Amino acid sequence: MNKISVIIDEKKFDVDPQKTILEVCRENGIEILTMCHLKGLMDIGACRLCIVEVEGINRLLSACTTKVAPNMVVKTATDRIKRYQRITTELFFAERNHVCAVCVSNGKCELQNLGYKVELDHIRYPHLFPQCEVDTSHPWYVMDHNRCIMCTRCVRVCNEVEGAHNWDVMNRGHQVRIISDFNTPWGQSTTCTSCGKCLHACPTGAIWPKAIVQGQLEKNPVMVTELVERRKMKL
Amino acid sequence: MTATHHTHHHAHAQELSKTDPRVKLIAAKMKKENHKPDALIEILHTAQNAFGFLPKEVLNFIAKELHLPPSRVYSTVTFYHFFSLKSKGEHTCLVCTGTACYVKGAQALLNKIESQFSLKPGQVTADNKLGVQVARCIGACGLAPAVVIDNDVHGKVTEEVIINSINEKIGTI
Ligand code: SF4
Ligand code: SF4
Ligand code: FES
Ligand code: FES
Repeated sequence: MNKISVIIDEKKFDVDPQKTILEVCRENGIEILTMCHLKGLMDIGACRLCIVEVEGINRLLSACTTKVAPNMVVKTATDRIKRYQRITTELFFAERNHVCAVCVSNGKCELQNLGYKVELDHIRYPHLFPQCEVDTSHPWYVMDHNRCIMCTRCVRVCNEVEGAHNWDVMNRGHQVRIISDFNTPWGQSTTCTSCGKCLHACPTGAIWPKAIVQGQLEKNPVMVTELVERRKMKL
Repeated sequence: MTATHHTHHHAHAQELSKTDPRVKLIAAKMKKENHKPDALIEILHTAQNAFGFLPKEVLNFIAKELHLPPSRVYSTVTFYHFFSLKSKGEHTCLVCTGTACYVKGAQALLNKIESQFSLKPGQVTADNKLGVQVARCIGACGLAPAVVIDNDVHGKVTEEVIINSINEKIGTI
């Protein structure tokens, strides 16, 4: 395979041209913040946290959906990037109702960690306080829309890996919500196999198992990645 | 991707009648489109025209026939503003104004409704009791003029029949 050269944060790398900027950065220990990306699932470039600057292009590009190109010059940690990442993170918190103190994911939440990473101390936007449902109809799992950041990792893992396609997204704009079947209770789903993959793919405390104590939830999103890798090996 | 695992089966949607001309119309449309999932939007348009909105049972029927996940269908319906999941009004009167029905007097029926209830197509009464809508052909041309009041398809409808049937539903008699 012909390698190409790219420069990331002033360092030169010889890389496979099929890779995304994110893949190259991760392989080389360059930190990129992500939320909608979960290795093994299709990337959709939705959360805009993984933005990078590419020389010659004015817009910020999402590293998870942008492939490397010959002689590309990439910057991952400029002030502009940091400013946007912080805004994105603040909006995650402002858009729904996140009360970490009473959340099953407290201390183990990807959103909380993101807050630390971008050094969030306060939110400059008005909280929307939307009316969100908590669906407890599934015998084992709970879906709490208050804590959902619409990353759609649950949708993709259920569709792409489990093949069940219980979840999808309804409406548009600030009305968007994750839905099960016909926006019907999860416990009545005709498609869910109760495999639990969505629970592990979910970065926040939005999906959680009923048999859990507050702050005790250990999610294992890497399980999804490993599962996909193992399946590829089998093929 | 379609659903490949089915562990739970809950019949949460009411069965549609196979003899309902509106159902036949949707079935014919799906057949014409070779049950291609790509034709979903077109098929939803056909369904909304025939029913005036998209009832859950109709969405379920379409999802099954096209082998699409329910959530995918619901996602599409809620993405576009021209689709509606709710009927306009607790009770609905849908007057077919397709060619056959028009020729057989659909306009006179609409005029009668307007004089009786002060409702034009697309409107609902202030108390939300009754909504009136028009449709292009609903697949009951042999029964022209055809009118659907709530879920009952009426054929060869006269002005008297339509007013009586509506009154029966909304309980003003
Ligand atoms: S438990 Fe499995 S099948 Fe059910 S919604 Fe989650 S990923 Fe899909
Ligand atoms: S429920 Fe979790 S995985 Fe699904 S979209 Fe919301 S935050 Fe993402
Ligand atoms: S991780 Fe790239 S846009 Fe979300
Ligand atoms: S034109 Fe009215 S049913 Fe066909």
